[in-house]
Amino acid sequence: MLLLLPLAITWFGAVALAPFDGRRRAVGVVAVGVMVAAFVALVRLGITVWTSGPVEMVAGDWPAGIGIRLRADGLGIAFALISLGVLLAALAYEVLGGVHERSLPSLVLFMSTGLTGVFLTADIFNFYVFFEIAMTASFVLATYGKQVGHLRAALTFMVVNLLGSVVFLAGVASLYHVTGTLDMDGVAERVNGAPTASVLLIAVLIFVAFGLKLGLFPFHSWVPLVYRDTWPAVAAMLSAALANIGSYGLLRFGAGLMPRELSLTASGLIVIGSLGILYGAIQAVSPRTAGEVIAWSSIGQVGYILVALGIGGPVGLTAAVLYSIINSLNKLVLFLAVGLRGWLVGTAFALAAFSVAGVPPSAGFFGKVAIFRAGADADRVPLLVLVVVGGALSLIYLFRIYQRDYWARNHAAPPSPLGARVLVLVLACGIVFIGLWPEPLLALSANAAAALTGGGS
Amino acid sequence: MILALALVISVLFGCGAFLLLKRDLIRMAGGIILISNAANLFIVSAGLSRGREPIYPLPAGERISDPVVQALVLTAIVIGFGTVAVLLGMIYRTYTARLAKAVDEGDETGRTPMSMPPEDRVAD
Repeated sequence: MLLLLPLAITWFGAVALAPFDGRRRAVGVVAVGVMVAAFVALVRLGITVWTSGPVEMVAGDWPAGIGIRLRADGLGIAFALISLGVLLAALAYEVLGGVHERSLPSLVLFMSTGLTGVFLTADIFNFYVFFEIAMTASFVLATYGKQVGHLRAALTFMVVNLLGSVVFLAGVASLYHVTGTLDMDGVAERVNGAPTASVLLIAVLIFVAFGLKLGLFPFHSWVPLVYRDTWPAVAAMLSAALANIGSYGLLRFGAGLMPRELSLTASGLIVIGSLGILYGAIQAVSPRTAGEVIAWSSIGQVGYILVALGIGGPVGLTAAVLYSIINSLNKLVLFLAVGLRGWLVGTAFALAAFSVAGVPPSAGFFGKVAIFRAGADADRVPLLVLVVVGGALSLIYLFRIYQRDYWARNHAAPPSPLGARVLVLVLACGIVFIGLWPEPLLALSANAAAALTGGGS
Repeated sequence: MILALALVISVLFGCGAFLLLKRDLIRMAGGIILISNAANLFIVSAGLSRGREPIYPLPAGERISDPVVQALVLTAIVIGFGTVAVLLGMIYRTYTARLAKAVDEGDETGRTPMSMPPEDRVAD
């Protein structure tokens, strides 16, 4: 019951709010309230998971092995919390700034249902279904604004991601063919009995699908196009919440279901990730609009996650989880700040920029340290150099935006709503706060990584 | 049977990918439809086995065909149908938005309003 609560709250909230005009402030406030309730329910579930191990239920009281399982463990809870938190912040930001379209609040709630479901399911086909719920909501959200530019971005986003979904569906069907089950534990158990060559092919299919979602280096071409033209709050939702499906999927399917194939391809993943870090950072120095710079930056940032996944082991997986969470927070603040003007927002942007670069009093520092430590443990010296160079480059490109957008201030632009500006500043201070007191987040990531390798909860 | 299905899937996917690369939005939607149907066929072929219908009471000693893939493909078809509906809605929206923009600005790009909107850089 505890497990269904966060899903049910957002889903019923979304259905109930769908007929109402989201542009009315009251509807927006109710939607934020529903999100807060779902977040509290998720935290409650999280406390149970952290203290007494994974929570599990089989839908419809079927015997285990036949019914579809829902399961909350450390990894799922960590990703669900960060994604729901990001959506909550972005929705509150949009409500404070004034919603432009009637469907926005209920779409955000639908997306939260899909995302929470993805992170809490233990069935690979159910994973696909929740994933499509989140994706369909995001396709419509991407058109938010309804200008030609927004629509073009939404179309590109939709076509690329539909292709990714088809590839993932093919991967799921092949996994079923090879193992004869859709249950994650069953797949993990039986996949080792299957021939390596065919499982490797499936692993590549699934890697391509999640790489597309996440905007990893060779599959990144849609990212700058889409994030340049979508509305800032929507770009924050897509890149900081929806893209988590990609990193979670890589961790769950790679390290959780197919660890043998992951270790076979580890060096390849590290090379792809490193190329992504360099390519993203170098490309981010040249473009002119802030959205594009952050998009290229995010291509570089997800490279770190892939590198950490490639290094593997408890240290590497902890680093991957930690980096995904911190990366989500950074992108949330950066994208929200881009949509506003004023010195409050400038400060928030600068704080998030320092966090991306990994300057000490911010959360990003601990993300970089975790990657650094994983690299040092694995004796990969070039990787250590890469972390430092990537950080330095990110300072350069982000402060170029800062210089252009916040120093050369355009006084003709109308001032942004105070509430939204304060919210962004509070979020940015949250990043610094996590940097000052990182222990809870570090423990949460270690717990999540332990859930993958079988130890802990 | 497997060979025939594999051929059909590859032809469907190939045609879909070809259409997807067109500028024309309706052809693009057609490509998506073909590709998602190729995926549906792929699911069916993943659990292809000859046997009796899986309905209780099961006949003893006979092979039973796998009912799970049927359920999976049914779900996938429904989801695919929904996404294609959203895609067509979005294409229509793009069409009207571009038409409105063309009327407003006297847009003379020489493209039909049904093609992918041109790249106009966001001014900074």
